[in-house]
Amino acid sequence: MARDTRKLDGIRDRRSELENHYIDELVAGRISRRDFVRKGAVIGMSSSLMGVILAACGNANSSSSSSSAATTASTPKHGGTLRLAQQAPAAAVNPLTVADSGGLNMLAQTGEFLILDNNQLLTLQPMLATSWKASASGAVWTFTLRPGVKFHNGQTMTAKDVVYTFKQLSDPKVASNALSTFTGVLTPSGVVEVDSMTVAFHLEAPNGNFPYLVSSDNYNAIIVPDGTDFAKWQSTFIGTGPFTLKSYTQNVGASFLANPNYWGGKPYLDGTAFTFYTSQPPQILALQGGQVDGIVQFTAQGAQSLLGSSNYNIIKLKSANHRELSMRNDQAPFTDARVRQAVAYALNRPEMISALLGGDGELGNDSPFGPRFPSSNTSVPQRAQNLALAKQLLKAAGHANGFSAPLVTEQYQEIPALAQVIKADLAKVGITANLKIESQTDYYGKATYGNSDWLDSTMSLVDYGDRGVPNVYLEAPLTSNGPWNAARFKNKTYDSLVKQYVAAVDLSTQRTIAGKIETLLLAQTPIVIPYFIDGLTATTPSVHGVNPTSISAIYLNKAYMS
Amino acid sequence: MAIFILKRVGLALITLWILSVIVFFVGQVLPGDPGRAILGPLAAPSAVHALDQTLGTNRPVLTQYWSWISHFVRGDMGKSYSYQTAVAPLVIKALGNSLKLAAVAFVIVVPLGIFGGVWAALAAGKPRDRIISVVGLSSTVIPELVSGIVLILVFGIALNVLPISATAPPGASIPTQLDHLILPAIPLVLILFGYIEQMARAGTIEALNSDYARTAVLKGLPRRTLIRRHILRNSLLPTITVVATQVGYLIGGLVVVETLFRYQGIGSLIVTAANGKDFPMLEAGILVIGVAYMVATLVADILYSLLNPRIRYQAAE
Amino acid sequence: MSIDAMPVESAGAVKSGQYELRGEMLRDLLRSKTFRVGAAILLFWIIAAVLGSTLVPQGPYAQNLNAINQAPSAAHWFGTDQLGRDMFARVIVGARDILIVAPLATLLGTVLGTALGLMMGYFRGRTDDVISRFVEAFLALPVVIIGILGVVALGPSNGTVIAVIGVIFTPLIARTVRSAVLLERELDYVAAARLRGEGALYIMFVEILPNVLSPIMVEFTVRLGYAVFAIVTLTFLGFGIQPPSPNWGLDIATNYGVVAAGYWWEVLFDALAIATLVVAVNLVANSIEQVIEP
Repeated sequence: MARDTRKLDGIRDRRSELENHYIDELVAGRISRRDFVRKGAVIGMSSSLMGVILAACGNANSSSSSSSAATTASTPKHGGTLRLAQQAPAAAVNPLTVADSGGLNMLAQTGEFLILDNNQLLTLQPMLATSWKASASGAVWTFTLRPGVKFHNGQTMTAKDVVYTFKQLSDPKVASNALSTFTGVLTPSGVVEVDSMTVAFHLEAPNGNFPYLVSSDNYNAIIVPDGTDFAKWQSTFIGTGPFTLKSYTQNVGASFLANPNYWGGKPYLDGTAFTFYTSQPPQILALQGGQVDGIVQFTAQGAQSLLGSSNYNIIKLKSANHRELSMRNDQAPFTDARVRQAVAYALNRPEMISALLGGDGELGNDSPFGPRFPSSNTSVPQRAQNLALAKQLLKAAGHANGFSAPLVTEQYQEIPALAQVIKADLAKVGITANLKIESQTDYYGKATYGNSDWLDSTMSLVDYGDRGVPNVYLEAPLTSNGPWNAARFKNKTYDSLVKQYVAAVDLSTQRTIAGKIETLLLAQTPIVIPYFIDGLTATTPSVHGVNPTSISAIYLNKAYMS
Repeated sequence: MAIFILKRVGLALITLWILSVIVFFVGQVLPGDPGRAILGPLAAPSAVHALDQTLGTNRPVLTQYWSWISHFVRGDMGKSYSYQTAVAPLVIKALGNSLKLAAVAFVIVVPLGIFGGVWAALAAGKPRDRIISVVGLSSTVIPELVSGIVLILVFGIALNVLPISATAPPGASIPTQLDHLILPAIPLVLILFGYIEQMARAGTIEALNSDYARTAVLKGLPRRTLIRRHILRNSLLPTITVVATQVGYLIGGLVVVETLFRYQGIGSLIVTAANGKDFPMLEAGILVIGVAYMVATLVADILYSLLNPRIRYQAAE
Repeated sequence: MSIDAMPVESAGAVKSGQYELRGEMLRDLLRSKTFRVGAAILLFWIIAAVLGSTLVPQGPYAQNLNAINQAPSAAHWFGTDQLGRDMFARVIVGARDILIVAPLATLLGTVLGTALGLMMGYFRGRTDDVISRFVEAFLALPVVIIGILGVVALGPSNGTVIAVIGVIFTPLIARTVRSAVLLERELDYVAAARLRGEGALYIMFVEILPNVLSPIMVEFTVRLGYAVFAIVTLTFLGFGIQPPSPNWGLDIATNYGVVAAGYWWEVLFDALAIATLVVAVNLVANSIEQVIEP
């Protein structure tokens, strides 16, 4: 590997300390090219710069040259309307309140974010912000906006629009779904216009992963014109994106037209059309019947006919989408960590992945640090099924004859099946799980302690969707004051480790802390995470250039049909 | 006659009122929280509380009922908790879809039932007659769930000649839409066929034995003409009456069929609203079905009294 | 056609006539082909429900994640479902649920309906009118819709389904009982009881009730068929018992999504089981009706 040391030194001189740190890591081989690109993008290094650095390190192929999507050999053809099937938005499409997969994909068609979290390349890309930097402390992030971007009504985007958007999203009085991301991180007064093209975010505390929080991962955060009435957004779908709204019909579908004035260049397609479905099987039928050209996102259950056939392109994305089994750490018998560990050791995770996910999943190791996150510490050993050990632990905890406990969960995707598999596995070590499968509304209840089966049940199995960073899953369900702490896990060491992780700006520190967290969680096992689910998208072979994300949005600015 | 109709309408209105009370109060007794249902489980409690205030779900129950019913009768069915848009258009659209499906079922079953009944009557007592009757009556007993599944498996999957989803792609032509509605219509046809066939059969036998018919035959009128002119006319009206009395079962069947074949009709609307605790939608849907049922039975009563001279004269007194 | 067509001599004569009829009825029943076929099928399912778990080699709960979605074979006569459970076991043991819930629901409706019908028929007047109005309101809706309301209010479970269906049947059965009572109350033995100074309750339940038993029995058997129908439908829609119990309606609901993948056995056998049970109950009900009220 020929390293152009002089060139590297030249580059280093002009870079910040943090950037130099990453270059060190790359040179020492402690992070891969891919992770370097990822982490570099987070802290605002441009792709051309990184390409130069990688070349100087002797890596001839840089992985991050182009912006979007799937590999194709053909040249893009112009024209046509791409038809896709997706889950029907569960509620009004209001950027502030959208909380479901169908709705968020609608936002992503005409709206754009400061940053795009590209899940196929696993890197952050500039979208409406061209660059961003953290202050030395990591508590102030400054974003430079892209000039010359026009909203669909002709208005030019400036910092005022960005400030308005984020003030609304972070305001506790406004009732936005984004509060779950911004509480404790950002308040409206922290959103500051520096000049017409620059916005600064003054955070409540240093946060190394802040760019993710204003990226497409925070699906409510599309930038709208200053003063927009969000409740009426559904009638105009105003945004800066590559498509404009043609029509939107509740429960039926939506269609969009290419935006000729899009800053990224007019899309190849003339337009797109989405058909809404309330469940998956008709989407599969529609794809097989030729009524649509693709399905935005689907799960393996029931999709055997798609996955087994060679007639479709299946795009698989690693995601942080997972299921979490919580046990009330404050209720017998789960007060004893040995009992909780026994539960974890009873489960046969690989079998679950193959039977319930058709193999499209990754092993979970009872912590939110899944394989999707580069900060995950993979040196921590993966827990595997060990029935003998489980029984031993139970015996040591005084439950040689097992016990029974209620397990409450929701009717959603493969979760009822997972609950039954867990029940069968637990039965092998003498634990009887009494299943109660409720509708989602009943399961979540008021989502506050004492008013929610999700949060109050002795054993509770919930779904958590994909995120770009594990922060939300480290905090909300597991910290002493977290609002989603169904396990009632109160561990001061854990709390302080998480604080450290969140504040850490460089990758190797994050990894070290992650290792400590993972080890602690394995020892305490307040929750069990059996697997992470890959995001699946399917299209016919004539569709190219689609860019799906693991949170079930799909970007079509570079899509075309052959 | 007019008095009779007024009386029946009055009764229907009272019944509907009682229904609205039952439906509304059941809706208020439920667990679950509309604000939470809309914002999703992971939204902040303060946001949920704010939304609940906006929705007015914290007011006393009687106030809410009055507010709801006074708007409803004016056509304002409230705002769906889930979709945050007016309920009325969604419910009307769903009702329209269900009526489309019911219409397809009627268009198939009425001729089938009448001709089956007439044909059976013409061969009264012979094997053909018994077979048709047995088939008819046993098919009414089979749950739509079962017939629907078997139809899907046989015609949709094994033979692959008909689509198994009732919803045609948007913008599809009428023939395509009809194509999608055939399979789901068949379970509904099965619910009604037996009854229509029996009515038509009884009516035909009675007519064949009537003085008029016997005289006509003696005079040399060919049987076919006799059937066409006299008997068919006589069997059509009782058929409508029978159908009207079966509306309740038909609606129940719609709920299952629409769920099984994934069709956005009033039946599946109610199921979705029930699961999502979308009270305005649920209440509106059920009340609309109640109205439809009342209208159908009212029409049936009027038709029946028109046919049956005894009642007509009584009503005229 | 009904009991009131019988000659009325005295209370004693009516009572013995009652028993005599019974003996004949049973004989006629056993001779009826309809009854024999229906009863045979019913008996099969009752045996399956009672002895189920012991009859099937693989239990209905035993998962085998390495053998999911397998077509019918020698090892699994009805194939396996999405968790590798034996469908044959699930169909056989699934009879238990419906054969407990349906009769209970019908019984509830019959008991309440009889009480209500007795009162409406005996007291007539204001009570009758008022109650009839409410009955009309109930009958405005199909069973399924009322079921949905009930479950939404009470939560999905077998108990709720029993309560809901029982309540729905009450006015329907009450109507029939009411008509029978209206006729009975004019008969001599009732007048005699009143003369003796017996209270209304005594007259209703001790004097009249035994004489309206046959229409009640017919109602019970006819409604039973409908109960099976309605319970299966409600369970399929998600408003009854929840997983993982083996239950025909529930299994269809869980598995019909994967039918498009070609896994027909995961729903067909449940559907056929439902069909045979419903038909059997109806055959039995029809034959009883023929015998009691020819």
